[in-house]
Amino acid sequence: MLRCAQSRKLYALAAVTVLSALTGLIPTLAFGHTIEGSDANFVQAIDGPAVAPFIYLGAKHMVTGYDHLLFLIGVIFFLYRPKHVIEYVTLFAVGHSITLLLGVLGDLRVNAYLIDAVIGLSIVYKAFENMDGFKRVFKVKPNTKVAVFIFGLFHGLGLATKLQEFTISDNGLVVNILSFNLGVELGQIMALSAVLIVLSIWRSNPSYLRHAFATNTVLMTGGFILASYQFSAFLLQPAY
Amino acid sequence: MHRPDIHQPPSPRSILIAVAIAFIVGSAVLVVAILPAEFGVDPLKTGQILGLNALAAEANPFEEQLIPHRTDSVEFELGPFQSVEYKYTLDIDAPMIFSWQADGELYYDMHAEPAGLGADYAESFEQGNGESRTGSFHAPFTGIHGWFWENRGSRTVTLRLHASGYFVDSTVFRDGGDYSRVINPVTD
Repeated sequence: MLRCAQSRKLYALAAVTVLSALTGLIPTLAFGHTIEGSDANFVQAIDGPAVAPFIYLGAKHMVTGYDHLLFLIGVIFFLYRPKHVIEYVTLFAVGHSITLLLGVLGDLRVNAYLIDAVIGLSIVYKAFENMDGFKRVFKVKPNTKVAVFIFGLFHGLGLATKLQEFTISDNGLVVNILSFNLGVELGQIMALSAVLIVLSIWRSNPSYLRHAFATNTVLMTGGFILASYQFSAFLLQPAY
Repeated sequence: MHRPDIHQPPSPRSILIAVAIAFIVGSAVLVVAILPAEFGVDPLKTGQILGLNALAAEANPFEEQLIPHRTDSVEFELGPFQSVEYKYTLDIDAPMIFSWQADGELYYDMHAEPAGLGADYAESFEQGNGESRTGSFHAPFTGIHGWFWENRGSRTVTLRLHASGYFVDSTVFRDGGDYSRVINPVTD
């Protein structure tokens, strides 16, 4: 009886995962999350400080950045108290600010595809942690705060590579990068508010905990898709 | 408020099964859709069946044009505070390359007007003061594309323009009127 209920649950889980992966196909067209079009032209052409445009670009990058957002959903999934949300999100923000600033100002260059693959794996890691995987499967309990901070460093390197794709003028660089960083944080607050509203509505319903495991499996699937996509790009994309 | 401690913790087995499902579904999406659509790599021939391979096709650098390209060479003399506008008729996406030189500083404004819509819909691409400009241009719409030059100095300036592209004719706007000018191919 119990086995039967469990396997039924696993079937339902498989169905949910497949379905959400299929709906996830739609945005594949815009998968490579970079700065594009007129925004790219702007970044190239700018010569001198441009505070508001860079704040806007940073916020836009975060609000439309499904890789960063999926990770943050994983981070706040089991955080119920505002104090904890603020703590973890601050750790993440400090982490990615350090590497964003160091990366661009210190001209620290890493392969964008590899970094994005690691960012995909950070989502897998967080989902596995939410499933209680480390405790139940490996009998270890890695520090969740340290993990969020370290992955924050990687997300920041990812942000830096997006700006490094362009030849940005040295004139006003520091002001522009700080503005971009500020925009990233503002965009993160906006996106997180939206996510928190949806999560808290869902949390008031008992289905939240019932589906928590399935939701994190879906999150993990998204992480695997992003990581494998970026790694394939690293292997297959010609380097001009 | 429901508390998180009322649910049964998942067993190590179901955690591993969930990870396996996530990995398998993720890999399936990669192989079935992403590889063919993004990189044109099609190991299971699903890109062919679903028509995804077309998405990976890169833009062809070759662009066919329906008319032969032409060259043009023109010279204007601009007295103090005189101005002239010179424009080519280009179809949408038609390319044009040009160089102009003057023996004195001129105010210039490279701009275009969409056909049939008139000056209200004119779009300006570059303005400034200088003695020469060289560049390439890709017509954003069908219409007339070219330059406005004005001599804001006190002596007469001679301006020479060389252009090459898929234009049919040119129009000169000067002294309050406009007339069509026959293209004058560069010969040397």
